[in-house]
Amino acid sequence: MSDPATLSLAEARVQLNRGAISPQELEAACRARIEQWQPRINAFVDTATRKPSAGEGPLSGVPLAHKDMFYRAGLVSNCGSKIRKGWVASETSAALERLDAAGALDMGALNMSEFAYGPTGHNDHWGDCCNPWNPAYITGGSSSGSGAAVAARLAFGALGSDTGGSVRLPASACGVTGLKTTWGRVSRHGAMPLSHSLDTIGPLARSAEDCALLFSAIAGHDERDSITARAPVSVNLGQPIRAISLSSAWIERNAHPEMAAAVLAAAKAMGVKLVEVEPPPFDLLSAHCLTLMGPEASAQHAQWMRERPRDYSSAVRARLETGFAVPAAQYLEVLRLRALWLERFVGQTLADADAYLVPTIAVPLPTREATGPKGGPDMPKLLGEVTRLTRWVNYLGVPALSVPCGFDSRGLPMGLQLVGRPFSEGTLLAIGHAYQRVTDWHCRTPALR
Amino acid sequence: MKHWVDEVISRQGIELAPGRAEKMAPGVEGLLAAVAKDPLLGELEFEVDPTTYTLARDHLK
Repeated sequence: MSDPATLSLAEARVQLNRGAISPQELEAACRARIEQWQPRINAFVDTATRKPSAGEGPLSGVPLAHKDMFYRAGLVSNCGSKIRKGWVASETSAALERLDAAGALDMGALNMSEFAYGPTGHNDHWGDCCNPWNPAYITGGSSSGSGAAVAARLAFGALGSDTGGSVRLPASACGVTGLKTTWGRVSRHGAMPLSHSLDTIGPLARSAEDCALLFSAIAGHDERDSITARAPVSVNLGQPIRAISLSSAWIERNAHPEMAAAVLAAAKAMGVKLVEVEPPPFDLLSAHCLTLMGPEASAQHAQWMRERPRDYSSAVRARLETGFAVPAAQYLEVLRLRALWLERFVGQTLADADAYLVPTIAVPLPTREATGPKGGPDMPKLLGEVTRLTRWVNYLGVPALSVPCGFDSRGLPMGLQLVGRPFSEGTLLAIGHAYQRVTDWHCRTPALR
Repeated sequence: MKHWVDEVISRQGIELAPGRAEKMAPGVEGLLAAVAKDPLLGELEFEVDPTTYTLARDHLK
């Protein structure tokens, strides 16, 4: 067998069940790759085993690793920060409990943007996480280590969080599949909070099929997170798909030509009916997302911002300062508008379709230098372009799946996202799976040079 | 005289570097302008509050 770490999670499960490979061999293969790749990409902040595989569950023996913000009782969660460096959690997050119950191995803690408040993967305290396809480029954030580790085949899957794009941006930039779940689909108990109206938890993995296995394990109601819904969790990757809606003219006008060509080619390759619709007002809804995210994140961090502001990086401190300036009445007005916008999206954009297709990142992936501390005056505009098509989804609170759809002329991955109605993760995964059965973008792996 | 952004933030106990409020203000004002020109404001019924969203989410699945 070639390197078993390069199997998909679904394939690895089959091999484990057949006895063709042992859990120890699978872990050793991943750890050998971690040793090779870590100096190049800095995906892990800790490679010590956090929870051994146990039991006979559906993920028994499968090596995973997670963003360093999912608490585990008795172990450190640094949250990508200086302020929480060495902080020991007293309880285990609900999502990790469920993965533990499914038998998964937790191999270590993954790098992330400081307090999950940054879209690029820069980190002044723990070192930048670098893109496995070319370390000069961003991984996307804030689940930077999750995207990089899965892309480099260091782990078969990883949990991330998505408040404004933090699962989908690294999935797209690193060439893996990432699922942003419906707000309230996966319990956030024991996960570091950023913005309670927007925070969601979801998996990054090598394929939609792999994401489906992880999603099925972690989703569902939890008494400890009052927003979690009781809607049943069901994934049928073979379910029929009615149609996909998209806004081709908008994509051609606004996305980089290479991205537009890749996304529109992918739409045709999906083999389902395509419906042209007016695009949602991405920029307005993105602004609304920031109107919620800013004050909520600033309130969460208010005490530390008063007592130890210099312990934040300058970029995160600046974002947190801004949130204190948004008036409460405007914040609440945006929350009141949220149901109307959701009704509009479901009733118009998805009126005749199961999902809406749009690029995940519409512009060429920027370098770490251009978007870092020495980025220059254009940096805010560049960051706005990177996140332009992800934040609106968080405002609506709906699920979205980012899947690889090609590589640009620099050899960097490109991704598209499928956005659905609330609790339609199973439908999005079925569309993604069908697409990945006729394409191989998700199978390509970066070379260690 | 302090910039309004500086005034609002410093009253909450947050210290801003000199010139920071002026730099931040266009972004904040952009967010406020987005609320003011939201085309659905006219359809927003008086009885709607932030919790209405959760009901819509569950209803629209």
